Amino acid sequence: MVVAGALSLRSLSVSYGGAGGLCALDGLDLDAEPGEFHAILGPSGCGKSTLLKCLAGLIPATSGTIGLPGDGSVAYVPQGNSCFPWLRAEENVAYGLKLRGTPRAERQRRSRELLDTLGLTGFARAFPAKLSEGMRQRVAIARAFAVDAPLLLMDEPLSALDFQTKIAVQGELLALWRERRCTILYVTHDIDEALALADRVTVLTGRPGRARDTVTVPFARPRDYAGLRAEAGYPELFQRLYRGLEP
Amino acid sequence: MTAGRTIALGLVLPLALLVLWQVASDREWINPIFYPAPLHVLERTWDQATDGRLAHDARVTTGRLLWGFLLGTLPGLVVGVAAGVSRAVRDLTYPLATALYVVPRIAMLPLVLVAMGINDEARVFMVAFSVFFIVFFSALTGVEQVDRECIEAARAFGAGRARLGLTVLLPGAAPAVFSGLRVAMGFALIVIVGTEFLAANDGLGARIWTSYQIFDFPSMYAGIVAVTVLGVLLAWALLGLEWLLVPWRR
Repeated sequence: MVVAGALSLRSLSVSYGGAGGLCALDGLDLDAEPGEFHAILGPSGCGKSTLLKCLAGLIPATSGTIGLPGDGSVAYVPQGNSCFPWLRAEENVAYGLKLRGTPRAERQRRSRELLDTLGLTGFARAFPAKLSEGMRQRVAIARAFAVDAPLLLMDEPLSALDFQTKIAVQGELLALWRERRCTILYVTHDIDEALALADRVTVLTGRPGRARDTVTVPFARPRDYAGLRAEAGYPELFQRLYRGLEP
Repeated sequence: MTAGRTIALGLVLPLALLVLWQVASDREWINPIFYPAPLHVLERTWDQATDGRLAHDARVTTGRLLWGFLLGTLPGLVVGVAAGVSRAVRDLTYPLATALYVVPRIAMLPLVLVAMGINDEARVFMVAFSVFFIVFFSALTGVEQVDRECIEAARAFGAGRARLGLTVLLPGAAPAVFSGLRVAMGFALIVIVGTEFLAANDGLGARIWTSYQIFDFPSMYAGIVAVTVLGVLLAWALLGLEWLLVPWRR
């Protein structure tokens, strides 16, 4: 069952092949306040991506309740390169807007604005093949923000990037999030990334995934990796999350 | 290496072979009746091109080929994409298509002539039949190769089946489809010329075959030259179409 409100998952279970099939999530409870940046950590195969796909409407829930923020619409950044190779950067960004019937001029204005914000001024007419990996991920992020959905689902969007590029895109992502104040559910396998970005972090158990622990990240923003490690309480928090990932 | 140098290098061997052929025929190292010199062939080609006979046959062959190509491509594309999208359509069509794909196209000619008679419909059908399976398999493969992330991103934005097909699967499959179309065009040319050898009174295939039968070898070579030029022009046309419709692959 899907209801509108805050992001609230109750006893959410997802099985591939229906009930009795491979159980990926089993009775997951999770909450996120409106405008919260919520990171999901978990061991490989624990159902993190399944959770996002379920919320994006790509996989049906086997049982449980899903409460979505705002009008219930979501935007999704899949794992890997999801830019449409046949669309130019601005057309990629405008894809969701086009599906929603936004007039062409408005689509173009919003796409260009987002591309400018993400440092892609001058690349609006470029095809993804002509862009670097970091630029392509920026386009995918811009595409998700373009539709102004109250919930953004991001599945390890920056995992393929080199460290410097990742830091730069994280900064741009946070700037957009602060401006739009949408709820973000951000899957990562990187504890430092979760602590650098999120308000709260939920750790899932191994498959089938359940919420093992949820922690509030107490560090003031803006954060940076070097500064984080110097924060009081960082080692304890890191260790708590690390232990949560153990089988 | 510059483009000019690349082209010049590519021309060296063909030109050398032509010169060798000219000399060999002029000096009768080879029988000039069966292997007339290239300049003689060129002269005959020019004569037949200017008196309208070759142009007529080229028009006839091109018409049959293009109609057959179109009538094979469109259903091949539709059924191929449908098979890529729907498991049921795939299960229904794949075994038969696989079985028919391996049948040598020209081997179907007697059956087609029995069923349809010796007419243009049969010739066009032969081309369409040979093109259909190539386009079917290339469209099916193209759809299957579209990145899952792209499909999921589109579905998450609310794209239904029709929008997904039009905005993701078709453009995603386009490069594979064009690869298939290039192969299909080659097959189509072989099939129409082969069909005209055996079951036509006009067209370039008929001209080549008739010239061979009456020992008019310069005219036979003129026909071969015309078929080659036709093949090159059609290949260029397809490349141009791909350049226009698949700009992200440039």
